[in-house]
Amino acid sequence: MIPYVNEYDTPNCNTLAETAKKSIRTPESLGLDRCIQCGACTASCPAARFSDYSPRQIVKKVLENDHSVLESKMIWSCFYCYSCNVRCPRNNSPVTIVQVLRQMAINEGIGVEKLAYFLEIGEYLAENGASKVPETGIRNMEKDLGERWIGIKRNLGSTRSEMGLSSRDFRNTNGEVQAILESTGYFEREKWIKIKIEEKRIHGFVKTNYSDKDKKNGEFGFESDRKYTGQEAITV
Amino acid sequence: MKAIESIPDRKLLLFKSCMVGQEYPGVETATRYVFDRLGIDYCVNDEQSCCTGIGHYTDIFEGLTTAAIAARNFAVARKCGYPNITCLCSTCYAVNKEACELLNTNAEVRDKVNSIFKEKGFDDLVYEKGDMDSRTNFYHAVEILLSKVGQIKEAKKFDFSGVKAASHHACHYYKVKYLDVVGSPENPQLIDTIAEACGASPVRWYEDRTLTCGMGFSQLHLNKNTSLQVTKTKLDSLQRAGVELMLHMCPNCHIQYDRYQPVIEKEFGVKYDMVHMNIAQFVALSMGADPYKVCGFQTHSVPLEGFLEKTGIL
Ligand code: SF4
Ligand code: SF4
Ligand code: SF4
Ligand code: SF4
Repeated sequence: MIPYVNEYDTPNCNTLAETAKKSIRTPESLGLDRCIQCGACTASCPAARFSDYSPRQIVKKVLENDHSVLESKMIWSCFYCYSCNVRCPRNNSPVTIVQVLRQMAINEGIGVEKLAYFLEIGEYLAENGASKVPETGIRNMEKDLGERWIGIKRNLGSTRSEMGLSSRDFRNTNGEVQAILESTGYFEREKWIKIKIEEKRIHGFVKTNYSDKDKKNGEFGFESDRKYTGQEAITV
Repeated sequence: MKAIESIPDRKLLLFKSCMVGQEYPGVETATRYVFDRLGIDYCVNDEQSCCTGIGHYTDIFEGLTTAAIAARNFAVARKCGYPNITCLCSTCYAVNKEACELLNTNAEVRDKVNSIFKEKGFDDLVYEKGDMDSRTNFYHAVEILLSKVGQIKEAKKFDFSGVKAASHHACHYYKVKYLDVVGSPENPQLIDTIAEACGASPVRWYEDRTLTCGMGFSQLHLNKNTSLQVTKTKLDSLQRAGVELMLHMCPNCHIQYDRYQPVIEKEFGVKYDMVHMNIAQFVALSMGADPYKVCGFQTHSVPLEGFLEKTGIL
């Protein structure tokens, strides 16, 4: 268990539903108990359309207090696009519930390897007052976007100057951001996550490539519907 | 719903966005160019930090850190006398607005954040309940443009008639705090209305109009294939609708469409005819701004020269 307890995102409660409702990640008016399993969230969900994912099912598991949901790969597929949030007729918010579930998983060391990529954002923010795409991301982008983008990035300073901006997006936070991150426990948590990732690496649990190739193509094909032959017609 | 009449044009803190600064600085300069010409009273303050958005939505920051960083930025805005936080990035908008709501309604979090500030000797950062109003102190730059749409129409210097333009409204603008959107969150028309004032022909509706851009924070990096599938679906639909100009309002959507359009073309063997820009860049162009010195099109991945020549700007 994480030494720095993520008590505001994942308050310690008896059930997953209570934790989700009390968490500061979810809206105060969260209509979790009002969910009628209508599936409007899943119908609007890009992750459901293009991968094996269902916000409706995740909400169901939370309501059933089924902790296996924390181990499910599913919770890591959400785009945080909030389509489910705007469409839910019962004021529920699967997207913010998923955020709580990911935090709970992290507390237990589940899925932490997925954070490896992004962890430097914290230190960079503390130091510079701004965020940036992490180094691995930049290398991937260089590979994908090629010469044109590499050139754009190389000339960014002079381009900004020509446009009348400072050559770098400079922030003067007087060390306050650094101090805040220290006091909220961010760095302790980051350290703990790094140790967990390292442990997993040693034990060979970390794959370097997470991407799943066999995704759906986005056409609305309902597998189970195709198998269902329909009711026999009543003939008189 | 936010009423257009309630959108301020005074005391706006133009909230710097790291992704704008690092990828599309022209979005900031174009917005400033337009604001200057519309007579909007705003300031930019280097003391303002990133809102934590990227880290928050890649799950590395917890809510307390995000709330504390937000409270600090609110203090920066209040201290310089420009408390109306106006964002270039939809995620900054949503993160700040939500953090404000949290700080106003959750005494435990507020006390915790303030105790951190006091312990560090940052007494001027302390946040008292109601210091900011989550409904009236937070805006997206596109709302300000919309509120001045009449002036934008009058300041028009080019003829964009017949330009088929489609909009992509950022989900973190209209799907997070959906009760505070100008117009209906099921069919936001802010960008379309502004584009029309500049003389373009907005497409208004196309298939999958409300689909996310596909970036999905960690998704682009961890599940790139799915991420690009989503982006492709939207680009396909725009191509079918004969769109030549896609307008956005968020640097992250902008990266996903502009930077990754050539990647999708290569990886999926498709070809698209549209170019991309932020709505503020389009308004600036329409007012006669320089496409490079003000709009910064040299930092775009999909070249805009063809479009600029066709419309007589180059
Ligand atoms: S849309 Fe809302 S009510 Fe319907 S299944 Fe999803 S969470 Fe439940
Ligand atoms: S936020 Fe996540 S669960 Fe909700 S619609 Fe988007 S991808 Fe689906
Ligand atoms: S949301 Fe993105 S662009 Fe906006 S401040 Fe945060 S990291 Fe920067
Ligand atoms: S479309 Fe993508 S980048 Fe834009 S606001 Fe939505 S999730 Fe963010």
